[in-house]
Amino acid sequence: MPTKLNYTDSLKNYLRLEPTIESDVVRELHAHLEDKSHELIESGLSEEEATATATRLMGAPQLVARQIYEVYSQGSWRQAFFAALPHLLVAALFALHCWKNTLWLLGILVAVVGSVIYGWFHSKPAWLFPWLGYCLIPVIAVGILLIYLPGNWAWFAATAYVPLALLIIFSVTKQTIKKDWLFASLMLLPIPTVLGWMLALEFEDKLMWHEQLYESATLIALSFAALALTVATFIRIKQRWAKVGALLTLDILILVIMALGGKSAISFGGWLFLILLALLLLLGPAILDRRIREANQKPLKLSNKSTR
Amino acid sequence: MHYERELLKGSTDSLLLCLINHQPMYGYQIIKELQKRSNGYFQFKEGTLYPALHRLEKAGLVQGKWQQLSSSQERRYYYITQKGQEALAERLAIWQDFSTAVALIMQPVTG
Repeated sequence: MPTKLNYTDSLKNYLRLEPTIESDVVRELHAHLEDKSHELIESGLSEEEATATATRLMGAPQLVARQIYEVYSQGSWRQAFFAALPHLLVAALFALHCWKNTLWLLGILVAVVGSVIYGWFHSKPAWLFPWLGYCLIPVIAVGILLIYLPGNWAWFAATAYVPLALLIIFSVTKQTIKKDWLFASLMLLPIPTVLGWMLALEFEDKLMWHEQLYESATLIALSFAALALTVATFIRIKQRWAKVGALLTLDILILVIMALGGKSAISFGGWLFLILLALLLLLGPAILDRRIREANQKPLKLSNKSTR
Repeated sequence: MHYERELLKGSTDSLLLCLINHQPMYGYQIIKELQKRSNGYFQFKEGTLYPALHRLEKAGLVQGKWQQLSSSQERRYYYITQKGQEALAERLAIWQDFSTAVALIMQPVTG
């Protein structure tokens, strides 16, 4: 038998809004169900029948939650621009061949750190997550660079570093999923791009690496510009399925851009790794989100049973 | 039926603004008032009403405020904003012109 509490719990599961808005919506719909149940009881229905009818009249919680989500999910053009800005800055860095310019690098670093600190302590708005993603990239990049250490040092460093790096990425991702798993996918979006370009360029020969970087700079800039465009589109789109579609399209587009590089050093295994990684980072947060919600609901169901 | 639904869809925001302009109301009250004032013609689905109210609030046309009715009851009342009043005045003028023009064509010719 559905109860008002079951309905609002279910609604809460699908809403994924700012906590204050979410709480207002849930309280408001709960109050409505109370009024409607009261009216139905006065018309002669039993309490159980009245609750069941009131929740049925309200409509499926998924549907109501989706409609309310779509009211709030669309960011403004300003938010879209600010969310796309870190990718635009990196695109400009490569397009203008400024990757050796300390001032540029320092400017980007300050912008990333400043935006992340500001956004993290100001209710984590949607624009924060692309910036947050850039905070995770050094963690991954260091791991990759460890492979190039001489002799057994590479294995030793990797054994110590990889679990630590994974722990950092996992805990930040888990925190982000609590807000919305789509934001975690948005945050992790540049990782396959950065890893892909790192694999595509030979690191062992420094001279060759610089030469390759110079030659591929336009394509690297193009891939980051595509990232920026996708992030802006993501912020402006209302529907969740369209947001997922935008991120998936981008992953395919980036892989095509890398393949167009021609002189790419990525092997078949490397491509397979990149494709699987892109899919994992895109859809993994959704799976993790489901697991977290299921784990949170178990004690709730038990407490509901015990109070009956 | 489809035509009627489309007509209602296009007028939902104006109807809500008009009611809230008359007096601040909460969701359940709005449904009842719409039903009463239209002699039962407008049977608003609850699941449609709340997204519409939140859409108006996000657009800055109305503002929701919690009010205590009794010790255990509180309801979220919607108030029209200045921007909402301006939007309503504009919509009413358009509606007036539109309905006059439609009536001129649809009404049977007399004389």
